[in-house]
Amino acid sequence: MPELKQMLLVEPENILRRTAALTARSMGLAQVQEASSTAVARQILAERPFHGALISIDAGDAFDLTLLDLVRQGHSASRPRIPLAVLASRCDDTLLAALRERSVNRIVLKPFRARALLDALAALSGS
Amino acid sequence: MFNRAKVAHMIPAPTPSNEAERLAALYVLLLLDTPPEERFDKIVAFAAEEFDVPIALISLLDTDRQWFKAAIGLGDTCETGRDISFCGHAIMRAEIMLVEDAQLDPRFADNPLVTGPPHIRFYAGAPLILSNGYALGTLCIIDTRPRQLDPIALAILSTLRSLVVQELEASHA
Repeated sequence: MPELKQMLLVEPENILRRTAALTARSMGLAQVQEASSTAVARQILAERPFHGALISIDAGDAFDLTLLDLVRQGHSASRPRIPLAVLASRCDDTLLAALRERSVNRIVLKPFRARALLDALAALSGS
Repeated sequence: MFNRAKVAHMIPAPTPSNEAERLAALYVLLLLDTPPEERFDKIVAFAAEEFDVPIALISLLDTDRQWFKAAIGLGDTCETGRDISFCGHAIMRAEIMLVEDAQLDPRFADNPLVTGPPHIRFYAGAPLILSNGYALGTLCIIDTRPRQLDPIALAILSTLRSLVVQELEASHA
Protein backbone atom coordinates (compact mmCIF):
# COMPACT_ATOMS: atom_id res chain seq x y z
CA MET A 1 0.00 0.00 0.00
CA PRO A 2 1.52 3.36 -1.01
CA GLU A 3 2.40 5.74 1.78
CA LEU A 4 -0.22 8.41 2.34
CA LYS A 5 0.67 11.97 1.48
CA GLN A 6 1.23 14.29 4.41
CA MET A 7 -1.24 17.17 4.50
CA LEU A 8 -1.65 20.10 6.85
CA LEU A 9 -5.16 21.29 7.71
CA VAL A 10 -5.42 24.70 9.38
CA GLU A 11 -8.96 25.32 10.62
CA PRO A 12 -10.09 26.82 13.93
CA GLU A 13 -13.47 25.08 14.10
CA ASN A 14 -12.82 21.94 16.11
CA ILE A 15 -15.50 19.53 14.88
CA LEU A 16 -15.02 20.42 11.22
CA ARG A 17 -11.23 20.08 11.45
CA ARG A 18 -11.28 16.83 13.39
CA THR A 19 -13.97 15.28 11.21
CA ALA A 20 -12.14 16.08 7.98
CA ALA A 21 -8.77 14.96 9.32
CA LEU A 22 -9.96 11.70 10.87
CA THR A 23 -12.15 10.80 7.89
CA ALA A 24 -9.30 11.48 5.45
CA ARG A 25 -7.14 9.08 7.43
CA SER A 26 -9.84 6.41 7.72
CA MET A 27 -10.53 6.56 3.98
CA GLY A 28 -6.85 6.46 3.09
CA LEU A 29 -6.98 9.84 1.34
CA ALA A 30 -4.12 11.44 3.23
CA GLN A 31 -2.35 11.64 6.55
CA VAL A 32 -3.61 14.91 7.95
CA GLN A 33 -1.86 16.98 10.60
CA GLU A 34 -4.26 19.37 12.31
CA ALA A 35 -3.61 22.95 13.38
CA SER A 36 -6.25 25.05 15.09
CA SER A 37 -4.56 28.41 14.53
CA THR A 38 -2.04 30.25 12.41
CA ALA A 39 0.40 30.26 15.31
CA VAL A 40 0.23 26.49 15.74
CA ALA A 41 0.47 25.97 11.98
CA ARG A 42 3.51 28.22 11.74
CA GLN A 43 5.32 26.04 14.27
CA ILE A 44 4.30 22.80 12.56
CA LEU A 45 5.30 24.11 9.13
CA ALA A 46 8.74 24.99 10.48
CA GLU A 47 9.25 21.54 11.94
CA ARG A 48 8.18 19.12 9.19
CA PRO A 49 7.53 19.00 5.46
CA PHE A 50 4.11 18.51 3.88
CA HIS A 51 2.95 17.49 0.42
CA GLY A 52 0.16 20.07 0.56
CA ALA A 53 -1.92 22.24 2.87
CA LEU A 54 -5.53 23.33 3.29
CA ILE A 55 -5.58 26.62 5.16
CA SER A 56 -8.40 28.70 6.61
CA ILE A 57 -7.59 32.34 5.82
CA ASP A 58 -10.54 34.03 7.56
CA ALA A 59 -9.41 36.58 10.14
CA GLY A 60 -12.47 38.48 11.28
CA ASP A 61 -13.55 40.71 8.39
CA ALA A 62 -10.15 40.37 6.73
CA PHE A 63 -8.00 37.53 5.39
CA ASP A 64 -4.72 36.25 6.74
CA LEU A 65 -2.39 35.13 3.95
CA THR A 66 0.63 34.79 6.24
CA LEU A 67 0.89 31.02 5.99
CA LEU A 68 0.56 31.07 2.20
CA ASP A 69 3.42 33.56 1.98
CA LEU A 70 5.49 31.63 4.46
CA VAL A 71 5.29 28.49 2.33
CA ARG A 72 5.64 30.18 -1.05
CA GLN A 73 8.65 32.21 0.09
CA GLY A 74 10.42 29.05 1.24
CA HIS A 75 10.27 29.81 4.95
CA SER A 76 8.90 26.39 5.89
CA ALA A 77 10.21 22.83 5.90
CA SER A 78 8.08 22.09 2.81
CA ARG A 79 8.93 22.70 -0.82
CA PRO A 80 7.79 26.23 -1.78
CA ARG A 81 5.64 24.93 -4.65
CA ILE A 82 3.52 22.41 -2.72
CA PRO A 83 -0.19 22.57 -3.65
CA LEU A 84 -2.19 24.89 -1.42
CA ALA A 85 -5.94 25.25 -0.94
CA VAL A 86 -7.75 27.81 1.17
CA LEU A 87 -10.97 28.01 3.17
CA ALA A 88 -12.62 31.41 2.97
CA SER A 89 -15.97 32.83 4.02
CA ARG A 90 -16.18 34.80 0.76
CA CYS A 91 -14.07 35.66 -2.24
CA ASP A 92 -13.99 38.93 -4.18
CA ASP A 93 -11.79 40.00 -7.08
CA THR A 94 -9.11 41.39 -4.77
CA LEU A 95 -8.80 38.18 -2.83
CA LEU A 96 -8.92 36.10 -5.98
CA ALA A 97 -6.01 38.09 -7.43
CA ALA A 98 -4.03 37.66 -4.21
CA LEU A 99 -4.64 33.92 -4.23
CA ARG A 100 -3.71 33.62 -7.91
CA GLU A 101 -0.51 35.52 -7.20
CA ARG A 102 0.31 32.88 -4.61
CA SER A 103 -0.60 30.02 -6.96
CA VAL A 104 -3.38 28.69 -4.74
CA ASN A 105 -4.80 25.55 -6.31
CA ARG A 106 -8.30 25.56 -4.84
CA ILE A 107 -10.72 27.75 -2.88
CA VAL A 108 -13.35 26.25 -0.58
CA LEU A 109 -16.10 28.73 0.27
CA LYS A 110 -18.65 28.70 3.10
CA PRO A 111 -20.70 26.83 4.12
CA PHE A 112 -17.82 24.58 5.09
CA ARG A 113 -18.71 20.93 5.07
CA ALA A 114 -16.42 18.02 5.89
CA ARG A 115 -17.14 16.57 2.46
CA ALA A 116 -15.84 19.72 0.75
CA LEU A 117 -12.67 19.60 2.82
CA LEU A 118 -12.21 15.93 1.94
CA ASP A 119 -12.62 16.76 -1.75
CA ALA A 120 -9.97 19.45 -1.40
CA LEU A 121 -7.60 17.16 0.49
CA ALA A 122 -8.06 14.46 -2.16
CA ALA A 123 -7.32 16.98 -4.90
CA LEU A 124 -4.22 18.21 -3.07
CA SER A 125 -3.03 14.63 -2.58
CA GLY A 126 -3.39 13.96 -6.28
CA SER A 127 -1.62 17.13 -7.37
CA MET B 1 -46.07 14.28 19.73
CA PHE B 2 -45.67 10.53 19.14
CA ASN B 3 -48.68 8.27 18.59
CA ARG B 4 -48.06 4.81 20.00
CA ALA B 5 -51.46 3.35 19.11
CA LYS B 6 -50.52 1.37 16.00
CA VAL B 7 -47.79 -1.14 16.84
CA ALA B 8 -49.35 -4.31 15.46
CA HIS B 9 -46.91 -5.33 12.71
CA MET B 10 -43.67 -3.53 13.31
CA ILE B 11 -40.76 -5.41 14.84
CA PRO B 12 -40.05 -3.98 18.31
CA ALA B 13 -36.47 -3.10 19.11
CA PRO B 14 -34.70 -6.25 20.33
CA THR B 15 -32.78 -6.56 23.59
CA PRO B 16 -29.03 -7.30 23.45
CA SER B 17 -27.82 -10.41 25.26
CA ASN B 18 -25.56 -8.28 27.45
CA GLU B 19 -28.36 -5.89 28.43
CA ALA B 20 -27.69 -5.79 32.17
CA GLU B 21 -24.00 -5.00 31.69
CA ARG B 22 -24.83 -2.54 28.91
CA LEU B 23 -27.21 -0.65 31.16
CA ALA B 24 -24.64 -0.64 33.96
CA ALA B 25 -22.10 0.87 31.57
CA LEU B 26 -24.67 3.52 30.59
CA TYR B 27 -25.69 4.41 34.14
CA VAL B 28 -22.12 4.81 35.36
CA LEU B 29 -21.67 7.70 32.93
CA LEU B 30 -24.32 9.68 34.85
CA LEU B 31 -25.65 11.21 31.63
CA LEU B 32 -29.31 10.18 31.57
CA ASP B 33 -31.73 13.03 32.28
CA THR B 34 -28.93 15.59 32.52
CA PRO B 35 -29.17 19.05 30.92
CA PRO B 36 -27.96 19.69 27.38
CA GLU B 37 -24.20 20.05 26.94
CA GLU B 38 -22.53 22.12 24.26
CA ARG B 39 -19.98 19.40 23.46
CA PHE B 40 -22.78 17.08 22.32
CA ASP B 41 -25.09 19.76 20.93
CA LYS B 42 -22.33 20.96 18.59
CA ILE B 43 -21.86 17.50 17.14
CA VAL B 44 -25.55 16.96 16.31
CA ALA B 45 -25.77 20.49 14.89
CA PHE B 46 -22.75 19.75 12.72
CA ALA B 47 -24.27 16.43 11.58
CA ALA B 48 -27.60 18.05 10.67
CA GLU B 49 -25.81 20.65 8.55
CA GLU B 50 -23.26 18.27 7.03
CA PHE B 51 -25.91 15.83 5.86
CA ASP B 52 -28.64 18.41 5.28
CA VAL B 53 -31.17 16.53 7.41
CA PRO B 54 -33.93 18.00 9.60
CA ILE B 55 -33.24 15.68 12.55
CA ALA B 56 -30.00 14.58 14.22
CA LEU B 57 -29.79 12.89 17.61
CA ILE B 58 -27.54 11.42 20.22
CA SER B 59 -29.83 8.75 21.60
CA LEU B 60 -29.06 6.72 24.72
CA LEU B 61 -31.01 3.51 25.26
CA ASP B 62 -32.36 3.08 28.76
CA THR B 63 -34.42 0.10 29.98
CA ASP B 64 -37.64 1.03 28.23
CA ARG B 65 -36.95 4.34 26.53
CA GLN B 66 -34.51 6.11 24.25
CA TRP B 67 -33.46 9.41 25.75
CA PHE B 68 -31.85 12.15 23.70
CA LYS B 69 -28.71 13.67 25.14
CA ALA B 70 -28.66 16.03 22.17
CA ALA B 71 -31.28 16.63 19.53
CA ILE B 72 -31.89 18.80 16.50
CA GLY B 73 -35.34 18.92 14.94
CA LEU B 74 -37.53 17.25 17.58
CA GLY B 75 -38.76 20.30 19.44
CA ASP B 76 -39.35 19.58 23.11
CA THR B 77 -39.34 15.80 22.73
CA CYS B 78 -36.54 14.32 24.82
CA GLU B 79 -37.45 10.61 24.75
CA THR B 80 -39.60 7.93 23.10
CA GLY B 81 -40.40 4.34 23.94
CA ARG B 82 -37.54 1.94 23.28
CA ASP B 83 -39.87 -0.57 21.58
CA ILE B 84 -40.56 1.82 18.73
CA SER B 85 -37.03 3.21 18.51
CA PHE B 86 -34.90 2.73 15.41
CA CYS B 87 -31.82 3.09 17.60
CA GLY B 88 -32.81 0.01 19.57
CA HIS B 89 -32.30 -1.95 16.35
CA ALA B 90 -29.11 -0.10 15.45
CA ILE B 91 -27.23 -1.05 18.64
CA MET B 92 -27.51 -4.74 17.78
CA ARG B 93 -24.64 -4.40 15.28
CA ALA B 94 -21.37 -2.51 15.19
CA GLU B 95 -21.96 -1.16 11.68
CA ILE B 96 -24.03 1.88 10.81
CA MET B 97 -27.67 0.89 10.33
CA LEU B 98 -29.15 2.36 7.18
CA VAL B 99 -32.87 2.53 6.46
CA GLU B 100 -33.17 4.27 3.11
CA ASP B 101 -36.98 4.26 3.10
CA ALA B 102 -38.74 3.20 6.26
CA GLN B 103 -42.05 2.83 4.43
CA LEU B 104 -40.50 -0.01 2.42
CA ASP B 105 -38.85 -1.71 5.41
CA PRO B 106 -41.08 -4.29 7.14
CA ARG B 107 -39.38 -3.62 10.46
CA PHE B 108 -40.53 -0.01 10.43
CA ALA B 109 -43.30 0.51 7.83
CA ASP B 110 -46.07 0.79 10.42
CA ASN B 111 -43.91 2.13 13.23
CA PRO B 112 -45.73 5.12 14.76
CA LEU B 113 -42.62 7.25 14.22
CA VAL B 114 -43.04 6.51 10.50
CA THR B 115 -46.82 6.69 10.19
CA GLY B 116 -47.02 9.74 12.48
CA PRO B 117 -44.74 12.56 13.61
CA PRO B 118 -41.86 12.96 12.97
CA HIS B 119 -42.70 10.89 9.84
CA ILE B 120 -39.33 9.17 9.53
CA ARG B 121 -38.48 7.91 6.04
CA PHE B 122 -34.67 7.84 6.14
CA TYR B 123 -32.58 6.77 9.12
CA ALA B 124 -28.83 6.25 9.54
CA GLY B 125 -27.67 5.30 13.02
CA ALA B 126 -24.06 4.83 14.10
CA PRO B 127 -23.87 2.76 17.29
CA LEU B 128 -22.01 4.43 20.15
CA ILE B 129 -19.78 1.57 21.25
CA LEU B 130 -17.47 2.30 24.16
CA SER B 131 -14.00 0.78 24.39
CA ASN B 132 -15.48 -1.76 26.85
CA GLY B 133 -17.63 -3.05 23.99
CA TYR B 134 -21.04 -1.87 25.17
CA ALA B 135 -23.31 -0.07 22.71
CA LEU B 136 -25.04 2.66 24.67
CA GLY B 137 -27.04 4.30 21.90
CA THR B 138 -26.50 5.94 18.57
CA LEU B 139 -25.58 9.09 16.75
CA CYS B 140 -28.28 9.16 14.11
CA ILE B 141 -29.49 11.32 11.27
CA ILE B 142 -33.10 11.26 10.11
CA ASP B 143 -34.97 12.65 7.15
CA THR B 144 -38.63 12.80 6.19
CA ARG B 145 -37.84 11.73 2.64
CA PRO B 146 -36.01 8.65 1.34
CA ARG B 147 -32.24 9.08 1.13
CA GLN B 148 -29.07 7.18 0.38
CA LEU B 149 -25.59 7.62 1.84
CA ASP B 150 -22.47 7.10 -0.24
CA PRO B 151 -19.22 5.72 1.23
CA ILE B 152 -17.86 9.22 1.96
CA ALA B 153 -20.99 10.15 3.91
CA LEU B 154 -20.83 6.88 5.83
CA ALA B 155 -17.18 7.57 6.69
CA ILE B 156 -18.04 11.08 7.90
CA LEU B 157 -20.90 9.76 10.05
CA SER B 158 -18.56 7.11 11.46
CA THR B 159 -16.02 9.80 12.36
CA LEU B 160 -18.69 11.91 14.08
CA ARG B 161 -19.71 8.81 16.02
CA SER B 162 -16.08 8.47 17.17
CA LEU B 163 -16.14 12.06 18.41
CA VAL B 164 -19.29 11.35 20.43
CA VAL B 165 -17.76 8.20 21.91
CA GLN B 166 -14.67 10.19 22.91
CA GLU B 167 -16.88 12.67 24.72
CA LEU B 168 -18.90 9.91 26.40
CA GLU B 169 -15.73 8.26 27.66
CA ALA B 170 -14.37 11.62 28.79
CA SER B 171 -17.50 11.88 30.97
CA HIS B 172 -16.23 8.94 32.97
CA ALA B 173 -12.50 9.72 32.87
